[in-house]
Amino acid sequence: MSNLTQEQIKVLEQSRQRLVQLTRSLGSLIASLNQSDPLPPWTSLQSQASIISNNLISVSDQLSDQRDLLSNLVAYPGPEYPGRTQANTLEQLLRTKLDPRVEDWVARGRAAGTEPAAGPSSNLSSDPNSAHQLLSEAQLAELWEWAPLEANQEARRRNWGGNFTLEEREAGIENVVTGLRRKLEDDDESEEESDGEEGEEEGDGMDVVGVQRKPGSAELEFRIAPHQPHHVQPFVPLDLILRHMTTGRMP
Amino acid sequence: MHEQSLFASVPVHQHHELLQQLAGLTAMQPRHCLERRLIFKAYRKPGLAGRIGASQDLQQGDLQRLNKMLNGNMYYTQVVGPVSEADFGPTGPVDQDIHMVGMDDSKPSPSSYDYERQPWKLEFRDIPEAGTRSAVTSRLMSSATLPQGDVVQSMNAWGYHFTTEYVVEGDMFIHNDIAIFLHRVLHYPGGNELNVPRRQLPALKDMTLFEKSGSYVLQAFIIVQDGSNQETMKTASQHLFGLREQLKSAVLLEQADRLSLDTRAK
Repeated sequence: MSNLTQEQIKVLEQSRQRLVQLTRSLGSLIASLNQSDPLPPWTSLQSQASIISNNLISVSDQLSDQRDLLSNLVAYPGPEYPGRTQANTLEQLLRTKLDPRVEDWVARGRAAGTEPAAGPSSNLSSDPNSAHQLLSEAQLAELWEWAPLEANQEARRRNWGGNFTLEEREAGIENVVTGLRRKLEDDDESEEESDGEEGEEEGDGMDVVGVQRKPGSAELEFRIAPHQPHHVQPFVPLDLILRHMTTGRMP
Repeated sequence: MHEQSLFASVPVHQHHELLQQLAGLTAMQPRHCLERRLIFKAYRKPGLAGRIGASQDLQQGDLQRLNKMLNGNMYYTQVVGPVSEADFGPTGPVDQDIHMVGMDDSKPSPSSYDYERQPWKLEFRDIPEAGTRSAVTSRLMSSATLPQGDVVQSMNAWGYHFTTEYVVEGDMFIHNDIAIFLHRVLHYPGGNELNVPRRQLPALKDMTLFEKSGSYVLQAFIIVQDGSNQETMKTASQHLFGLREQLKSAVLLEQADRLSLDTRAK
């Protein structure tokens, strides 16, 4: 086989870059899991996972795009290769079969790749646990029963209010495409002035419906969190109230 | 006695939730309180300062101390009387004319409130200590039970005249050694321009809010018997800080502005 062209070297170089990125992001995830105590917040885990998944996609794209070239390439040691001192590396490079461990992974991956096409739950295969084992009907039903309650409770833990998300507000609300004719007001201005510590802001005009399972019955209980229609911040500051209480002086 | 306290302002929409949170924290139901608070202001009695000549039998040191007591700082002081919801008049038009008091016996009283049997407590609070290193409001306090009924006469005799009065409505919690009082000020309808305490109370729902939005004041306080004991004072403020940490996500308890609690009469 002739020497590699510049093009082909570039392709190899690109693959190497992407693999390096993938190893780096995997390494940083492992490091943060090992080292940080308590565990890093789930948002940071989530973002690391999405970085890794992007890396995987780009590696996989690269490999499949250059499949012809990569499957035809053959590695062999040149005459100037220091085979005596770098024997281990040489063996690794010349190896044609996969490492037994890696072979297992690949087999599992292939199995997982073919199975979902047969089952209806292919949308769940992104979950690493379900990748090699399909959820049974009962498990699915359980999941569906569990998820709405859990999601609702998660939702009730948050501050709802305003018409825009924090991201939208940071990016500037003028750019948000709402598709509405009427103009949405950014009613957060007043809330930002209020003390962030309070953390008790409930949504303006929005009810968070609480879903709970009634004890001892299968029915769900819906209730609407009570809230004041408008949040009125005190007009008279605490100092003046205390002064009035002390001396009877009107502010 | 010393009172150490932390304050917070609670917007009205948070009130209900905070009551529940406090009930959970203290494992007790709120104790609803209504109090009449009369504000009295000390005035300088004419002639006392210049009476040196008439006191030859007093030692010089005693004389100085007496002078200091009589002419030192003068204070606002409060007279507090617990009332109940039944003491307030029924809803609807009530004769609130103070001059009708003498005729109370001849006509059916609009409420069961009997001013002559109203218990009172004199509550004195000094201006909060300045320059304390700990971040709690610490002030000298003292309270004493007064005779029932009309206190104005006795207070006048002690050199205080009636300034104004209001009603405090709120809920009390006890958490270990901390008393937590979530309260707000109510005014009598038609203002306070009478210079004597009321003998009849209007309907509770006719009372007007001092803070128009209806916000509440949260006061968490510990009363320390021996204020000179640094150790107990420190423990008390640490307990208050502990409570502040526990309530941090709900309200921010803070030291009050010292001058807003200034009880000195200028």
